[in-house]
Amino acid sequence: MSVSVIVTEQLTHRYGVRTGIERLDLQVAEGSLFGFLGPNGAGKTTTIRVLLGFLRPNGGRASLFGRDCWRAGARIRQDVGYLPGDLRLYPSATGRELVRIFGLVRHRDLAAPGRDLADRFALDMSVPVRKMSRGMRQKLGLILAMAHEPRLLVLDEPTASLDPLMQDELIQYLRGNAAQGHTIFFSSHTLSEVERLCDRVAIVREGRLVANEPLESLRARARRRFTIRWTSEQVSRDVVPPGFLRLDERREHTWHGSLKGEVPELVRWAATQPIEDLAIGHPDLESLFREYYTREASVT
Amino acid sequence: MNRGLLLKSLIDARAVTVLLATAMLLAEGVLSYVLPTVMTDFSSQILQVPFIRTMISALLGADIGDSLVPATFIAIAWVHPVVLAIVWTHAIVFCTRVPAGEIDRGTIDLLLSLPVSRWQVYVAETVVFLGTGLAVLAMGMLGHRLGILSLAPRDRPGLGRMLVIVANLYCLYMAVGGLAFLVSAISDRRGRAIAAVFGILLASFLLNFLAQFWPPAQAVRFLSLLNYYQPLPLVRTGDLPVWDIFILTGFAAVTWTAGGVWFARRDVCTV
Repeated sequence: MSVSVIVTEQLTHRYGVRTGIERLDLQVAEGSLFGFLGPNGAGKTTTIRVLLGFLRPNGGRASLFGRDCWRAGARIRQDVGYLPGDLRLYPSATGRELVRIFGLVRHRDLAAPGRDLADRFALDMSVPVRKMSRGMRQKLGLILAMAHEPRLLVLDEPTASLDPLMQDELIQYLRGNAAQGHTIFFSSHTLSEVERLCDRVAIVREGRLVANEPLESLRARARRRFTIRWTSEQVSRDVVPPGFLRLDERREHTWHGSLKGEVPELVRWAATQPIEDLAIGHPDLESLFREYYTREASVT
Repeated sequence: MNRGLLLKSLIDARAVTVLLATAMLLAEGVLSYVLPTVMTDFSSQILQVPFIRTMISALLGADIGDSLVPATFIAIAWVHPVVLAIVWTHAIVFCTRVPAGEIDRGTIDLLLSLPVSRWQVYVAETVVFLGTGLAVLAMGMLGHRLGILSLAPRDRPGLGRMLVIVANLYCLYMAVGGLAFLVSAISDRRGRAIAAVFGILLASFLLNFLAQFWPPAQAVRFLSLLNYYQPLPLVRTGDLPVWDIFILTGFAAVTWTAGGVWFARRDVCTV
């Protein structure tokens, strides 16, 4: 049985009258690649801030490695690496100076791992932060978060400003990390990022958790897109769609829609129809997530 | 003491400290040279103009007597608005960095994600504040010693007396720093924190100034921080102003502690 690195119970934080998060229950198992999804302003960053001890909960509790996030913040953060969503660094310091400072604060020599990561992400560490591009600063932020090989890596929108090659490099690195038993808490509002990396996903909306399940089970529930090309426009108009199809668009010879039932059911039905071509896509997680983002859903 | 936090604080403060230390060296050097050597020649004329006499007394926070001697001008060099502005600027700029400045520019997220308590951050910042302040005042002292070389040896104040003045000024620096730490701890915007502290100090300066010729201000003069920093009697007597030092360090300790408690307990959020 895996140990939970992050546990929140009925966690609530309010900014005055505005709700940040409301009765959030979350468990993240050690060694998992955990995606934390939600639209902007949903409460993702607030949750992270409470977990790191920046904010004091108004209700409920939050713990990392079994310790209270507010009371034992300094001890907990020994094993945590954090990349903020809106990363800001000290402008007058160079990358090398920052790695040295972080090493001194953590009582560890981070020069060698910092250099290795800088090589991996192709970053010149001698440049002062004020002269770095946004992408370079993001790479430096990642190096500072990862150089001490933390047990828990909390990344808030980590691929922002990274080019596709560097995104691949990062994802490869994170997978390797998770394989060694490290936990990755990956916050994003972009599904494709989370889909590429994570094995479990929680979705937060208006401060509340609306889903928390393995990515595979979400995929199983997600509908597939389909395209049917009929032999004639007349047929396309005359055929009545069966119950397991949701037709979004009927144009000339072609139908576009999503599959509410199973693939074999569609294939069997299609075999009896005057169809010229049938294309069935991958489960469309994007639509499923959009539904979660826009409607009230029950906690799974 | 966390060496990493000290280093971070030093790197962050080095530019402003070098700039203000140089400014202090120049300001004290020029004032200590110009005021006693040039102005003494005009002292009798100066004393005959009541307004200027009042202004100098107000600036010094004490009666200047019947004659303007080099010692009086040396005292002026240590309460001159330029010198006070340099010292206050260093204290205000430094002490509003954590947490207000860090929140304002968004670097607090990175700083607080490190395995240190907020008190450790606060103490490290304070240690560097005290050290760099000492460096700024030491440069002022150096400028002063260079500036008075033009005076006849008998007119030069002893080093001991000057150290007493600098010690008193350092206590004022700590008091301003403590106040700035407290205002910073309750603020999310550095600009606002700087404006608030500067406003309080300006009021303090004006109160001390007005108290010389406006009786209602005299009654509440004790509220002004500058009431506890008066170099003229120190130049004259060389006595350590124990009570003034006690008040200033006490004020610094209380405001600094209140700032630390507030910072340790508050929510920190950059959005």
